Amino acid sequence: MILQSVKLKGYKKSISNFWNQYSESRMGLLGVAILLFFVLVSVFAEVLAPYPIGAREGDRGAILKPPSGKYVLGTDELGRDLLSILIHGGRVSLTIGFLATLVTAMIGTFVGVTAGYFGGKTEEILMRFTDVLLVIPGLPLMIVLASIMGATFWNIILVIGIRGWTGTARVLRAQVLSLKEKPFVESAKAIGASDARIIGRHILPNVLPLIVAQMVLRIGSSILSASSLSFLGLGDPTHLSWGMTLHYAFGVGSLFSNFYWYLVPPGVCIALVVLAFSFVGYAFDQIVNPRIRRR
Amino acid sequence: MGIGKVAVRRGVNAIFLICLVTIINFFLFRVMPGDPVAMMASPSITAEVRKILLHKFGLDRPLHVQFIKYIQQLSQGNMGLSFVYQRPVVELIAERLPNTILLLLSSYIITVILSIVLGLVAAWKRGGKMDISLLIFSLWMHSMPIFWLGGLLLLFFSVQLDMFPVIGISTPWLVHENIFSYISDVAYHLFLPMMTLGIGNIGGMFLITRNSLLDVFSEDYVTTARSIGLSDRTILFRNVLRNAMLPLVTVIMMRLGFIIGGAVTTETVFSWPGVGLLIYRAVMQEDYPLLQGAFLIITVSAVLANYIAEIIYGYLDPRVRYE
Repeated sequence: MILQSVKLKGYKKSISNFWNQYSESRMGLLGVAILLFFVLVSVFAEVLAPYPIGAREGDRGAILKPPSGKYVLGTDELGRDLLSILIHGGRVSLTIGFLATLVTAMIGTFVGVTAGYFGGKTEEILMRFTDVLLVIPGLPLMIVLASIMGATFWNIILVIGIRGWTGTARVLRAQVLSLKEKPFVESAKAIGASDARIIGRHILPNVLPLIVAQMVLRIGSSILSASSLSFLGLGDPTHLSWGMTLHYAFGVGSLFSNFYWYLVPPGVCIALVVLAFSFVGYAFDQIVNPRIRRR
Repeated sequence: MGIGKVAVRRGVNAIFLICLVTIINFFLFRVMPGDPVAMMASPSITAEVRKILLHKFGLDRPLHVQFIKYIQQLSQGNMGLSFVYQRPVVELIAERLPNTILLLLSSYIITVILSIVLGLVAAWKRGGKMDISLLIFSLWMHSMPIFWLGGLLLLFFSVQLDMFPVIGISTPWLVHENIFSYISDVAYHLFLPMMTLGIGNIGGMFLITRNSLLDVFSEDYVTTARSIGLSDRTILFRNVLRNAMLPLVTVIMMRLGFIIGGAVTTETVFSWPGVGLLIYRAVMQEDYPLLQGAFLIITVSAVLANYIAEIIYGYLDPRVRYE
């Protein structure tokens, strides 16, 4: 009990330390603000959206109408309010991005920790496999996997996750390699702790900040990957994400008929969210990465 | 160890990778859930026709026999028949590969030149106004979906301003008087997709050039050069650029495989008749032999680009040779 509370205090202190450093970065704060905005809008989508989007049919009299007082961002080919679609789309895009990144973190952690901790043949095979995956161009691989597995909500998450874990695995392996030599791991080994216990008790808690940092760096590209797949028709039509909205916008010929109100907002939202994650990742890096700090 | 030995050793690795990728490519398309025939023929076919089809494509034989057959055919340059086009997959890809290479290389040259120039400007005064604005600009470029950027450029420049053609690689049915008018026609069509990919890929590249230049700027020999009063120009060309070359060339080559993804969506937006557009059509029409062939070509190309990068790196950096 006592040990645990000490540990908790240690975490709290390091988090407040981290925040003190982090809040010095204007880019980082801006990133957090943008993300907070989009997360809040997504959470309260039902309340904020002026029209419900559940209905398949919209306003028959207002098909593909430019922005007006009634429909602030115009309407789509079914006469639905695009602002409402945008607000709900954020929820889908953020969820897909987050879950896919969670998958990358889980696979990456498993591979990286296993390779780093056990070493030898296990390490060689795992890292060789990582290298192979790194060489295969990402989007084409995701396209193939998604069209083979079928482009459902969960499959898309899985496909992005399958592609994205390599970086995390490499970083974690390196970290675990150095942790393995630390006295507290060696003493745990000496008193006969099992591998599972050492990994669960000593390795994982110590690499957790690194996993979080990796997730922040990855999540933007997960969202971008999902939108590229959607654009190519490999999105779940029952989940209207920003990427899916863009897919339909291209599909109805927005380019040639100048339906700018259909085409512009979802892209701006994707770019803003990804940018915000880049800002946060950049600020993170300034603190975590000692090489940059030195300069 | 000479450069030849490096080439051989890395070559063995590349061949190993290609074999592995080929095997993965075969099994990926065999483990898909459902019945392969259901995907290539209309679901209303009779059991009789189904059987004939299964036999025709060799799908009634055990997996390892299929695999040997696949490898045999592949070694003869046979990737099967496209369901939709009813033509050999190899032919379809071979026709379009040059277009993709043209788009990729021309856009990549733009990315590299812009990133190096902007990277230099940013790294010269680290943390200055220029550095910060370029940083935000490049992060923004990195954050936009490339196909969306392409769509906006197309909407604005081609449709609204009518400055560029809307789709394709050349004007259809136009008979060209000579080769130059053909080239200028293609260049005219190439411009927007090239700029889309070129600018769209700046984000990551700029950060890398800036950081590797910063690394060099903070080296002791640059400080020394400054303290003995060498001019900025001399330092830039004699010390900084020369030393930054090595990591830059590596990164430039390594990322070549990476930009292929952007080409798929960009080609789709601009209807650029390359392998990317072929992949898009294959996905839309569930043309699996075509998708399989295109994917194999793309992965093998990426492995080869990577291999060339390693050779160049070995050539530039003597440390690799004497390892």
